[in-house]
Amino acid sequence: MKIEIIRETLKNKSLNKEFALITNLINGESEIFFPGNNPSEMFSKYSEEIEKIFHLNKNGIIENSQIFVQTYKNPIKVIIVGAVDISMYLIDFAKNLNFEIIIVDPRGYFASKERFPDTKIINKWPNEAFDEIETNTKTALVTLTHDPKIDDPALQYALKNKFFYIGALGSKKTHEKRCSRLVEAGFKKVELEKINGPIGIKLGGKSPSEIALSIISQLVSEKYKK
Amino acid sequence: MSNFSEKKIFEEADIWIKNNKKVSLATVVQTWGSSPLGIGSRMIVSEDGNFLGSVSGGCVESKVVEECISLMKTKKICKKIDFKVSNENAWEIGLACGGDISIYIEEIK
Repeated sequence: MKIEIIRETLKNKSLNKEFALITNLINGESEIFFPGNNPSEMFSKYSEEIEKIFHLNKNGIIENSQIFVQTYKNPIKVIIVGAVDISMYLIDFAKNLNFEIIIVDPRGYFASKERFPDTKIINKWPNEAFDEIETNTKTALVTLTHDPKIDDPALQYALKNKFFYIGALGSKKTHEKRCSRLVEAGFKKVELEKINGPIGIKLGGKSPSEIALSIISQLVSEKYKK
Repeated sequence: MSNFSEKKIFEEADIWIKNNKKVSLATVVQTWGSSPLGIGSRMIVSEDGNFLGSVSGGCVESKVVEECISLMKTKKICKKIDFKVSNENAWEIGLACGGDISIYIEEIK
């Protein structure tokens, strides 16, 4: 493989592009393939199969060939509402787990660059913040303020937009109250089952870092559920 | 399936190349049975035996490092190596977990 291809791969990843890196295992020639485009002559015969592997989000050798396809898709976007202590640990864990993190918190004291260096922070109320964030059914929401004024609008947005994962910090009681508020706001009880509340898998820990670990574990397990 | 750690591996490969080192890339291209790491897992190896990343979680790395170093000494561009539990090297380099893997090694030019 040429070093230029490796540099190009890094560049495309940093630009959040989705593509495949295809390699002819016989002669070591590689190129970057964007879905919908035609690959060069060497690979053109396989363009359909390359697209297929890409859309399945898989890596592998095309059957009866020596063409290897490595797929690059964007990581799951995790919107964290609440620039609190737990969020700092979550960001730390997420760094090595292929999640993209965005922090939303209207409270300037919490959502400061000093507290969250190298993280995308939106210092606005959730409803305004969501205007700036591209979301889809691969987006995840984690609410951590346990202040209904801030958490609830974000939860409503995530429910309406069918986020892939929704988790809300708070005890069982807090969650019951939260659910009744959301029912009052017009949501059906079955829709609310989508919210993981109390958030995280059961580890038993209580410290901010332990709670962050239980949340990130739940996110990873949801990612592989389908 | 893009892997975050691959970013680190590619960035490091770029640094090694800029430092005029010969570098090879090893990639898991096929697996059968319960292989330790998935297809697409990568590792880089420098001519002096330094390596980063993983192709099997520790089972066959030393052999892959050896193969990469010898590849860089020859004029060959690439090579596919199959690791099977049933081969005669099983005691030394076989996969403890019973899976088979194919690893593709190539020099980064």
